[in-house]
Amino acid sequence: MDVGAISSRGLSRAFASGPALVDLDLDVGSGQVLALLGPNGAGKTTTVRLLNGILRPDAGTATVLGLDPWADGEAVRRRTGVLTEQAGLDERFTAMENLVLAARLRGFSADEGRRRAGDLLERLGMGDRVDTVVQGFSTGQRKRVALARALLHEPDLLFLDEPTSGLDPSATKGVVEMIADLAREHGRTVVLCTHFLGEAGRLADRMAVLFHGRLQAEGTPAEIARRLWGTRRTEVDLGHAATPEVVALLARVPGSEAVEATDTGIAFEADERAVVADAVATLVGSGRAVFGVHTHEPTLEDVYFAVEARALRGDDAEVTA
Amino acid sequence: MRAPRTVDLDVVRALTRHDLTAVRRSPAVIIPILVLPLFLLVLLPLSIGIAARNPDMSVDRYLDLLPGRLADPIEALPDSERLIVLVLGYLIAPMFLIVPLMVSAVLAADSFAGEKDRRTLETLLHSPVRDRELYLAKLASAFVPALLVSWVGFAVFAVVANLVGWGILHRVFVPTGRWLVLILWVSPASAALGLGIMVRVSMRARNTQEAQQLGGAVVVPLTVLAVAQASYLLLYPVAVSLGVGLAVWLVAIALNARGAALFTRDRMASRL
Repeated sequence: MDVGAISSRGLSRAFASGPALVDLDLDVGSGQVLALLGPNGAGKTTTVRLLNGILRPDAGTATVLGLDPWADGEAVRRRTGVLTEQAGLDERFTAMENLVLAARLRGFSADEGRRRAGDLLERLGMGDRVDTVVQGFSTGQRKRVALARALLHEPDLLFLDEPTSGLDPSATKGVVEMIADLAREHGRTVVLCTHFLGEAGRLADRMAVLFHGRLQAEGTPAEIARRLWGTRRTEVDLGHAATPEVVALLARVPGSEAVEATDTGIAFEADERAVVADAVATLVGSGRAVFGVHTHEPTLEDVYFAVEARALRGDDAEVTA
Repeated sequence: MRAPRTVDLDVVRALTRHDLTAVRRSPAVIIPILVLPLFLLVLLPLSIGIAARNPDMSVDRYLDLLPGRLADPIEALPDSERLIVLVLGYLIAPMFLIVPLMVSAVLAADSFAGEKDRRTLETLLHSPVRDRELYLAKLASAFVPALLVSWVGFAVFAVVANLVGWGILHRVFVPTGRWLVLILWVSPASAALGLGIMVRVSMRARNTQEAQQLGGAVVVPLTVLAVAQASYLLLYPVAVSLGVGLAVWLVAIALNARGAALFTRDRMASRL
């Protein structure tokens, strides 16, 4: 039975400056990519630190890869890889030296560390900078080396904290593609902390939105959208505004709501895709020509900003699937 | 991969070696820890020793200031030998407490607080290294060089002192048994004390500079104390040096033990 990669209930942590994370309930299945979204200071990094057992929770419980991250922190960290927001490389050392140290700390011999590091750096496009001191590296190159370090031990779970911050668009594209590859291979679970919605939209299966340390929404964008808005609007292009007779026809299709004529046809709302198919079949069956159908699928950005607006209004009710 | 143990010495060694290599590659760290001993343990004794070869200079006024019978070993010497033996055989002794104290303090600040400056601490915390392994490695990477600098510095000093004094004494007068107690017992205790202070300070400090400033407020008074008292250690019986060394060791061990108890991932991650 798949017990999931991450599960937390009521996970909380406060610092002297105030609460950083409050009552986090979160589930991430094995092989999923979760985008942990939120502005700076929302609690994303604290969440990663709690889940990887480097911070002790004030309250609540968590299970990561079947283990308690605080009680079994060492065992958890042997199976996780973390790319921190700051690459965290020692600038006085070469890329290879940084990676070999990381390998030694994970129990590999220096030779095995060099072999793994060489392979990964080559794969991440850093093959020609293996023995170059990190000090001269660009932000993108540092991220690549840090990503290689996070992958050295082939972790089951990857925490990527702001992997594209500070990168130019070209480097961002490269890193996003790399992460997509990493997520696909070995069914690896990935928690992607970011405030860049574009990369989250491309990579994530599910999203969790944090504001001021509180989980505001969790699920797929479609699931959250359904919670937020209930139904999705579909517009059908009939070549002209629908007559009252056509509006009445569609209103009789089970599941269709808010049917109205538009300049080019007709629009309605439905919470299931099957209703759209029934509506189109009804229109075609009654001899109307259908030139196009467009169902508005809310993007991750639509969902995020709607959740943000709710959070800013002080509506603390969590939007979960 | 190796099977996990309570303290994996390979991990400690890997971290220590990394930190020592880092020190070698950091001019801002390596220069002070080499220049200070070079000046205090070699150039200063050399110049003072050369000046002390002047047969017209009398040390009687100074010897009169020493309490009890402490001056007896020097007063027993011929007049021509008194000055150079006093200066190189006794007065230079505090340097061998100051140097390990300061070297260990500088390295501890770089090793503990420096990780915050370099933003490498979080990566270490996210690794499977145990808190105890990390702490031991950090201690070793500050303590071992401090000890080496102190011991190598003493060896060089002994050669310089005997060369400078040879023309007058015609014998090897450093090291004596008391010197060896100072170097092998009290001097390492002094290094451990500097370490214990800086570990505590570095854990609170936000960066190396702050650690050095905070640490300096404690280390400088201790240095003054060492300067004031260490010469006497070579005049008192060996048991006094052993006792003073033991006291310093106990304080250093208490400070380091407390430091180890406070050195937890949660505490460090909370201050990132």
